[in-house]
Amino acid sequence: MSDADVRDPAERAADHAGIGRLAEGLVPALIARLSSSQLAELEVQEGDWRVRLRRPAVPDPQAGKGTSDRGARGPASHEAHGHTRRAGDVKRETRNQGDGSSTNGAGGPRSGSGRDAATRAVATSPAVGVFQPGSRSVAGTTVRAGDRLGVVDLLGVPQDVLAPADGVVGATLVEAGTAVEYGQELVRVELAVRPEGD
Amino acid sequence: MFRKVLIANRGEIALRILRACRTLDLEAVVAYSEPDRESLPVLLADEAICIGPADAKRSYLSAPALISAALVTGCDAVHPGYGFLSEDENFAEVVRAHDLTFIGPPPEVLDRFASKEGTRRLLADQGLQTIPGSDGMLRDDEHALAEAERLGYPVLIKPSAGGGGKGMRMVRTSRELESAIKVCRSEARAAFGDDSLYLERWLEDNRHVEVQVAVDRYGHGIHLGERDCSVQRRHQKILEEAPTPALSAAARANLAELAVRAIVAAGYENIGTLEFLVDPDGNTYFIEINCRIQVEHPVTEMLTGIDLVALQMRIAAGEPLGLQQADVQSTGHAMEFRINAEDPAHDFRPAAGHVERFHAPGGPGIRLDSHLYPGYNVPPYYDSLLGKLIVWGPDRETAVARGRAALDELLIEGLTTNVEVHRALLRNDVFLEGRMTTNLLDRIGSAAFLAAAHA
Repeated sequence: MSDADVRDPAERAADHAGIGRLAEGLVPALIARLSSSQLAELEVQEGDWRVRLRRPAVPDPQAGKGTSDRGARGPASHEAHGHTRRAGDVKRETRNQGDGSSTNGAGGPRSGSGRDAATRAVATSPAVGVFQPGSRSVAGTTVRAGDRLGVVDLLGVPQDVLAPADGVVGATLVEAGTAVEYGQELVRVELAVRPEGD
Repeated sequence: MFRKVLIANRGEIALRILRACRTLDLEAVVAYSEPDRESLPVLLADEAICIGPADAKRSYLSAPALISAALVTGCDAVHPGYGFLSEDENFAEVVRAHDLTFIGPPPEVLDRFASKEGTRRLLADQGLQTIPGSDGMLRDDEHALAEAERLGYPVLIKPSAGGGGKGMRMVRTSRELESAIKVCRSEARAAFGDDSLYLERWLEDNRHVEVQVAVDRYGHGIHLGERDCSVQRRHQKILEEAPTPALSAAARANLAELAVRAIVAAGYENIGTLEFLVDPDGNTYFIEINCRIQVEHPVTEMLTGIDLVALQMRIAAGEPLGLQQADVQSTGHAMEFRINAEDPAHDFRPAAGHVERFHAPGGPGIRLDSHLYPGYNVPPYYDSLLGKLIVWGPDRETAVARGRAALDELLIEGLTTNVEVHRALLRNDVFLEGRMTTNLLDRIGSAAFLAAAHA
């Protein structure tokens, strides 16, 4: 099913070159642009690649609660809120649209897409349901991107919570058995330091 | 009555349902997709829950996501709004299987009225006139030609499956029929995997009039009058009003009574709308039923003072209607203008974007049901409806005058909207004289219609 496994080497090399170009040139430029603006989100597309930067929608003081209580926040305070976001909170997301796992043109972050200041990534909930951490979600566990950190039970069907990047598991933000919403931050992963740096 | 309702929809109808819940002192949870995180219903809700990404198939059309959201938030009922899963009998069934109440007709009722062709026959048996059509599906060209001859040209070729105008053609001669039937078959096969076609006599210059009904679980039904939805562009309603200028008071009452009697006899439950076409001689033909709250329900609320969403919830909760026909009193005239994010000068191309400035009109008889606020980003993924401006006056003339004033006062900056079309309609003689038919805009095209209004 996944085309990624059978692509020819030239195509893969081109992809890697593309990633490098995006990471070194475009992404820093976009971060600067987003930080200096009051925009909530920036997205650029080039060929098969799309880069989207978003400020976190809500710095979530309620991580761990199933739903967000928004009663105290009207449109007016919401507006002010939009202008007080810190530039340092920029989240990064790069996605290959050609990847079979993300063919949805409508976009939106999915499990394991959130990253924080390039040192930390957060595994997010793939569904609305009840969270059950797995054995690999214990703090200190070394994980690879795509490892299963737990599941969210969606009407009896477990949905995998995946590690967004290679690294070491940090804090689990939600207790076992808690109701979570789609996209909710669940498990932190401290990113592995790359020897060559960038 | 329920205790807590999951609102499984977005935009203005999510807000409308939230308001109804508050009026009835029910808790409500707004289910939303990621791009709707900062939408007005989410911001105003006491509780909201993200159910999935932008793609509606994984959020507003995902039964598991919605039901899971209802369960984890402790809801005991689900309101589907309109569109999305509102008339999906399978969804209604799964909702019930999880001990939740589906706010709408029960699944068996949705199932009974799911097929257009079946509903036509069901209600014809209850005495409603339907558009004369072919004797069942067309077997071959010969059968088609014979049936068209019998009905009289022009005729409309319609696929038995699907909708949205695909595989549908109006033909005026036997030669046109022969060539069109091949095209329709292949279009219907491609779109719905079913190439069965039937014929209906084509009604030239028809008008669209619908009857609002409410039927409780105990077989007691009332009508709440009719609405005229003749102002359309390509089968999409853009302005609705009541009473209809197409029929006399006696004819209106007669149609509404026929409709409610037929639908009660056919075993309907909850609120619903029976749609009719009206020909230039005033003959009415039943075409289809909508088993949900409709976009244009406020027109009826303005005339009757009855909260249709609250009524819908009470019926779903098993309460008796508590209203007799004589309790429904209609007063004055109401119009609803659908405000869409689309560009009428460019064939109603959708126009998502950022709302720079926004001002809602006010004054006597003015109501705005909208999820807009200044700074709101209209996401590109969904329906283009930004809201509905509803005006009421003691008579049609006053409603038109209030409509003009309110449209002038309405300010939406940053987005292209269809407000100009409404302004043009309120300057159009055919509309002002109440003679509009469903082809008013499509006949000359919206750009030409706008240009003519400015001339």
